[in-house]
Amino acid sequence: MDSRDKIDRREFIRAAAVLAAGGGAWMAARPDAEGMVWQIDPAKCIQCGRCATNCVLNPSAVKCVHTYEICGYCDLCSGYLQPGAKARDTGAENELCPVGALKRKFIEEPFYEYTVDEERCFGCAKCVKGCGQFGNGSLHLQIKRDLCVNCNECSIARNCPSDAIRRVPARRGYLFKQWVSGEESEG
Amino acid sequence: MDAIPKHLIPAWLWAVLAVAAMVLALALALTERRREPGPALLYDVSPYEAVDPAKVLFREAKRISLNLDAPTALCVRGDGTILVAGQDAVLVLDSSGGEKGRIAVEGAPDCLAEGPDGRLYLGMRTRIAVHDPHGTHLQSWQDLGPRAWITSIVADEQHVFAADAGNKVICRFDISGNLLNRIGERDPERDIPGLVVPSPYIDVLLDPGGGLWVVNPGRLGFEHYRADGSLASSWYRPGIELDGFSGCCNPIHAVFRSDASLVTVEKGINRVKVYSPDTTLLGVVATPEMIGTLAEAAASFQEEALVRDVAVDSEDRVLVLHGPRRELLIFEERAPKN
Repeated sequence: MDSRDKIDRREFIRAAAVLAAGGGAWMAARPDAEGMVWQIDPAKCIQCGRCATNCVLNPSAVKCVHTYEICGYCDLCSGYLQPGAKARDTGAENELCPVGALKRKFIEEPFYEYTVDEERCFGCAKCVKGCGQFGNGSLHLQIKRDLCVNCNECSIARNCPSDAIRRVPARRGYLFKQWVSGEESEG
Repeated sequence: MDAIPKHLIPAWLWAVLAVAAMVLALALALTERRREPGPALLYDVSPYEAVDPAKVLFREAKRISLNLDAPTALCVRGDGTILVAGQDAVLVLDSSGGEKGRIAVEGAPDCLAEGPDGRLYLGMRTRIAVHDPHGTHLQSWQDLGPRAWITSIVADEQHVFAADAGNKVICRFDISGNLLNRIGERDPERDIPGLVVPSPYIDVLLDPGGGLWVVNPGRLGFEHYRADGSLASSWYRPGIELDGFSGCCNPIHAVFRSDASLVTVEKGINRVKVYSPDTTLLGVVATPEMIGTLAEAAASFQEEALVRDVAVDSEDRVLVLHGPRRELLIFEERAPKN
């Protein structure tokens, strides 16, 4: 072979770099290109509590969220009250949440509305477990998009005992529960 | 500046450094441990699931495996035959559990009952389907609307009572299917507090004297109504302790025995108990250990209640329909009644 036909090493690396850059630009620009983010599948979550302690953020990017259409607005809310609570009131000794992040407001006899104070919630899932085991499961955990730093390898996902954390498209970054089907809705 | 001559760092030192770096990287990767959640972060009701054996008044006499998909409802007929409803069929069993036949139905009835004349009433979500004593479909009554969810039916000589969890009301029909009135709706002028139904469980039952009782699950107790819808009496027992009804909405099923003692089924803490007619807890029929603990239910992702229905046969044995196991558990009292 004629030596003039040979591609020298420098030319080869230059061509490869151009190809790689071009391919990357095309991948990023194509219409279906989409970022993926981590999210908790409520149907798989077993409320082990590790979301609170395994996130790289402190407090965790995992928070309790509430699907109101599933909630029974119960007075004796098992997500709000300690299992053996002496009274059904807002006394700290009766509250289940260790940081008082679940708030209760009287609506009409005998119904109460429950809201989550995200500033306080750190995703321990204690209320989620109480709600799911006795009630309708309207409280559940989600990774908050505005807090999550979207690690390449999610520390919580790696330690989740039920593989409840998976990648979802960023434009549908939540897996909220919904009424009737009991399945999550993407939104 | 001149480069550092390679011979200043001997080859063996390079090798040692490389091995040390690898060991360090492996150690960091393999020993990464984050804190386990402490006891303050764990939800544990297992102390409340433990039952003093002295409180258990019944023993499991028989366990019948059901050849039926997704069992949903149960009733014992006047002749002792046991009916178990499930997906697309109602299984007909003799009193010892042997299969005598099956009635084909479309879908899965949420509840079923036998009338005094032997007719069968099946709750098909929003309407009642009526079958003759042999299982032939006769007619379907009026649809109760898109929100309706019929979860329990009882019938006496003149009336059929259907518990509609979706509309939070008991519908009273005559035996031709005409809707006569609604019972349990909130009415402060008549001192009726209203049925509170956070989840699709509400039961209606007749006591041995023919009195109509309704479970008010959100208030964790029972209400006794007259046929005209007026409230005769009520009793509520909220509490996670053994003598109470736990969680937001319990009991989910109930049935009277011939001596007017009341058998109740709870979800969450899966326990079957029996109360005397004066509402005192007599004891336990089946413990969470027998039915399934909360931890077991969570591990198997069971969101529905484990016990799908309860009934009492002519010998006052308690029949418990276990959904996930597809079994009928029969409990009989340990000691003869005085």
